[in-house]
Amino acid sequence: MPAAYPLPTDLSPTTVANTASLLRIIALALISSAAIASRLFAVINFESIIHEFDPWFNYRATRVLASKGFYEFWNWFDPTAWYPLGRVVGGTIYPGLMATSGVIYNILHALNLPVDIRNICVLLAPGFSAFTAWATYMFTKEMKDESAGLLAAAFIGIVPGYISRSVAGSYDNEAIAIFLLMFTFFAWIKALKQGSAFWGTIAAVFYFYMVAAWGGYAFITNMIPLHVLVLMLMGRFTSRLYVAYSSWYAIGTLASMQVPFVGFQPVRTSEHMAALGVFGLLQIVAFGQLVRAHVSSKQFQGLLFAAVVFTGAIGFFGIVGLTYKGWIAPWTGRFYSLWDTGYAKKYIPIIASVSEHQPTAWPSFFMDLHFLIFLFPAGVVMCFRTLRDEHIFVIIYAVVASYFAGVMVRLMLTLTPVVCVSAAVALSSLMDAYLDPTEPEVEDEKKESSTPASVVAKSSTSTTTPATPATGKKSKKSKDKETSAPAGGVLGELVSNVASSAVAANSAAPTQKGIFGLDTRVVVLLNTIGMLLFFVVHCTWVTSNAYSSPSVVLSSTNSDGSQHIIDDFREAYYWLRQNTAEDAVVMSWWDYGYQIAGMADRPTLVDNNTWNNTHIATVGKAMSSPEEIAYPILRKHDVSYVLVIFGGLIGYSGDDINKFLWMVRIAQGVWPDEIQEPNYFNRGEYRVDSEASPAMRDCLMYKMSYYRFAELFGSQQAVDRVRGQQVPAQGPTLDYLDEAFTSENWIVRIYEVKKDDVLGRDLKIANAFDQGKKRKRTKPTSRRKAISA
Amino acid sequence: MRLLSSAFVALLAFARLSFAASSSGDSVLVLLDTSLDRENYSIFFGGLEKRGYSLTFRAPKDASPAITDYDVPNFDHVIFFSPEAKSYAQDITPQSLVGLLSEKTNLLIALSPKQTPLTSLATEFSLILPPPETPLISHHPARSERPTTIPVAVSSSSPLLTPGIPPVWFSGAPHALGNNPMLVPILRAPAESFAADSTDDTGADGIVDATEKGGEGLWAGSQMGLVTGFQTNVNSRVVFAGGIDLFSDEYARKELPSGTPSGNSQFARDIATWVFQETLTLRIDSVEHHRVNQTEAPEMYTTNDEIVYTAHISSYDSRTSTWKPYSGIGDLQLEFTMLDPHIRTSLPPVPGSPGTYQVQFRAPDRHGVFKFILNWKRKGYSYLSSSTTVPVVPPRHDGYPRFLSAAWPYYTGAISTSAGFFLFAALWLAGDVKGERKKVSKAE
Repeated sequence: MPAAYPLPTDLSPTTVANTASLLRIIALALISSAAIASRLFAVINFESIIHEFDPWFNYRATRVLASKGFYEFWNWFDPTAWYPLGRVVGGTIYPGLMATSGVIYNILHALNLPVDIRNICVLLAPGFSAFTAWATYMFTKEMKDESAGLLAAAFIGIVPGYISRSVAGSYDNEAIAIFLLMFTFFAWIKALKQGSAFWGTIAAVFYFYMVAAWGGYAFITNMIPLHVLVLMLMGRFTSRLYVAYSSWYAIGTLASMQVPFVGFQPVRTSEHMAALGVFGLLQIVAFGQLVRAHVSSKQFQGLLFAAVVFTGAIGFFGIVGLTYKGWIAPWTGRFYSLWDTGYAKKYIPIIASVSEHQPTAWPSFFMDLHFLIFLFPAGVVMCFRTLRDEHIFVIIYAVVASYFAGVMVRLMLTLTPVVCVSAAVALSSLMDAYLDPTEPEVEDEKKESSTPASVVAKSSTSTTTPATPATGKKSKKSKDKETSAPAGGVLGELVSNVASSAVAANSAAPTQKGIFGLDTRVVVLLNTIGMLLFFVVHCTWVTSNAYSSPSVVLSSTNSDGSQHIIDDFREAYYWLRQNTAEDAVVMSWWDYGYQIAGMADRPTLVDNNTWNNTHIATVGKAMSSPEEIAYPILRKHDVSYVLVIFGGLIGYSGDDINKFLWMVRIAQGVWPDEIQEPNYFNRGEYRVDSEASPAMRDCLMYKMSYYRFAELFGSQQAVDRVRGQQVPAQGPTLDYLDEAFTSENWIVRIYEVKKDDVLGRDLKIANAFDQGKKRKRTKPTSRRKAISA
Repeated sequence: MRLLSSAFVALLAFARLSFAASSSGDSVLVLLDTSLDRENYSIFFGGLEKRGYSLTFRAPKDASPAITDYDVPNFDHVIFFSPEAKSYAQDITPQSLVGLLSEKTNLLIALSPKQTPLTSLATEFSLILPPPETPLISHHPARSERPTTIPVAVSSSSPLLTPGIPPVWFSGAPHALGNNPMLVPILRAPAESFAADSTDDTGADGIVDATEKGGEGLWAGSQMGLVTGFQTNVNSRVVFAGGIDLFSDEYARKELPSGTPSGNSQFARDIATWVFQETLTLRIDSVEHHRVNQTEAPEMYTTNDEIVYTAHISSYDSRTSTWKPYSGIGDLQLEFTMLDPHIRTSLPPVPGSPGTYQVQFRAPDRHGVFKFILNWKRKGYSYLSSSTTVPVVPPRHDGYPRFLSAAWPYYTGAISTSAGFFLFAALWLAGDVKGERKKVSKAE
């Protein structure tokens, strides 16, 4: 057989195998270190600090776990959150992340390595990204081969779509969840392939870990049943499937119910019903197979039909009835918003107000996945060509995740692994084809050498389908039929018929495919390498520029190009920590709740765990009402300080005035009579300048944001740089609040709520008195009733 | 070190208090108008000095001694006997006086029918003064004095007055009371009195007109106050007296139309003891709370715990200058509040242990951050308020009952499934051997 380039022939197969596995280990190690290294931009550019919002809570919880132990953590009631309702933390979180950090912390300390818990938290996500790369390698290896696995590992290691949630300091549930997701899927595929209860149990254990770590476990809970259902519909029911799914579902569900936050949800909510339903269906089908083995096929057909219709109807009506009765919780709002992107905005503004719940913009697909997004469909098509059980899994995963990634920005994260796997399969097939030194036989030699055997040999190198020669297969098949009924059922027969006819077609028209010469190979391979290089450059650039900002610390560039750090948040939080009473309640919009709790260590009214809509609406109402209405609300909740974020001075666009309409909407949802969104617009425009609507100008949020803002500009016109509007020179006045602190760049402004007047007057009157304003003369109130006709 | 210094401060405070009749200190600044003769008030001032107060006199326009230095009050009490002073030194403005009150300085203020800076201050206490130059007039009972010099019967309902004081002589301006609940009416105008802008009866027609209009703008009758106290949120006290003559020796010695001695000196003393925090002065010494059968306050309670709440209240005894346990409050209430009171219960005094009020109740079946709230506000008495925050948490994971009789169906289910599985496994293993043998025998 001709070769495009010579290969050494004097190597023993064991040497080749050993070298290959050594290279694989080295490659995986390098991929892991690359994955970790590229996530350290945040630490190098800024410092070892916890990022964003939710991680601050996770970090705080981890500190409790590390210092007080697991049981105290489990029973932790946080009286400072959601004041005065408090939060039962142990029962309302996924403890997997904290438990993981706690275990690492304890192990390191047992080894006399006194590592600070903060550094463990900061570096946990990069560490787990290395594991993710490995899990993806294992998963892809099951799809194709080791080389595809290495590619997939390299992709997932540096792809921005995953890095965005796992840079150092981004200490969130997703940091470990993607590893668990991939490993659970790998174990599931393994269990399915081998029909192994052992691997099914491993899948269940990792599923449990996933349940304990991330609310996104519902994705696995529905992915695997969907896979099983599709396999059954394709007639691919096998005892392997039965063993794998039954062991996974039984153990996984029981285990997942041990997580306090999940509790009885697996048997009580609609999100989990698919898994239960498929489990039931699987038992029925298995029973059907058993009956079929003992009953003649004609009787069986009728029996099967009746049984399927009967049990299906019972199951369906059972679930509907239970839902109606309230035993099974109906779909949650978050679920509906997955199907109707406008749903959340209409009915649950609190979900819609989160930026990561918005539909994904097209450019972000390229931004997060670069050229993988082009290879992704190719990889899926490759899966169709082989179409073993595990490929069906990838196909379903790809379809489902693509949809979800389009609906919500944050679900891009679940799409990323399957994109990496598919792209790796596609790219690896391409490389296989172009690296393979064998050249096709020249045209005239073809006829002689195109025996079925050679075709089979070829096909088995490119794909791993166990394909025997067509004739052999047929005969074998007929033998199978004689001895025992194939497990696949009617559909299975159909599929195998199609497969055998395809093989027959292949053998009938043996058009040989291949590549001639070195130049073609070099051109294609150089292009591929070029694309990979661009991918690496793109990933590095995106990681360092877009995804490595802690958002607690902002940075801008000076005119000379040097970095300028804007540290207003920490300045303000530390001011609170140092200058206020320990039990002083701080009110802010919920975005900053976790940060205040984590950095300022003060009680907050609402935080990022948005479990109580009414409480958030109360804060929204206080912020969007005039002072005299807001004041009783503040006093009732013992609020001592109110914190607002104001970006108007330096142009920080994520400030509270820009979020303000969400506060109004959420408050309107609870008090539609008192707060109305249109009141805050001036003829349909959202304005903060002299044209602002009266409701807008009187509301607490506006007053706190622009209090004394105009004074800063002296005689010049004050300009809000975010809104690009000119603020009136006569700024708002405050009677019920006192300005307590304003940070360097005015991003954080803190106001103190005044205590009751010492003489029991209304604070507005007391304020007027303090400023020396004369009061109107009053007359004694008449105690006689007016004579009414 | 800190402990030592705090002990020292406590000792100092104690030493200071031990000589004073008042619970809040004995230094008094008297702003005496230059037109007034100190000797004319010798009974009142002498009585104060006898009870241990040190009086410092100062004219309204003098700059020293200053009322406050660097926002720290120099005196514990200030008497304004300058009802007609049109202007004061710079340190005395209505605003600075409100500031003094919030620093717990007590004020005794004498007003007059004239318009002065103090008139606008009175407005802040929701006292409504009549127009200037409208003194109180009464023609009853028939007497030889001018109609503006009125004997006023003292109501015995006010807790701060000694019961049975004879009527007092009064001349000055009345004031209407606003609806501020912190006002403590001490002396009301006689029902037949009214305020008018002239002492002779030329304006009587106007008053008759005003009466017929239905009382609007009418300054008459017993709803008018003559001497009114006010207790601020920080428990400092103010008394506004409509006229300064109330305190004078002349009125104290003057006989009533019936020929009996007037009650002025006793009345003035009662007012002074109240406003200088000698009488009706209560405080909460300490509050404790703990679970039943425990003594230490826990860091947090569990829902449905039985909680014991104890408050120790004492009142000031001016004769011995000490705080003594006080069990006389019968209507004390305790609230256990999270946003709204979840529990509101009476907090009765414990018989046999003076000054102790105790109640036992069950925490609500609701977790959250609760507050024990004591809020007792009665006219004339010091306000008692106390707020203690405690979290009430759900039971620990091992705090629930371990075995429930109601769960027996589930226990049975679990046990029977386990047993069934065991049996099945045993039978399966045993049966398998048989099957193999059969197969083997068949094959053979």
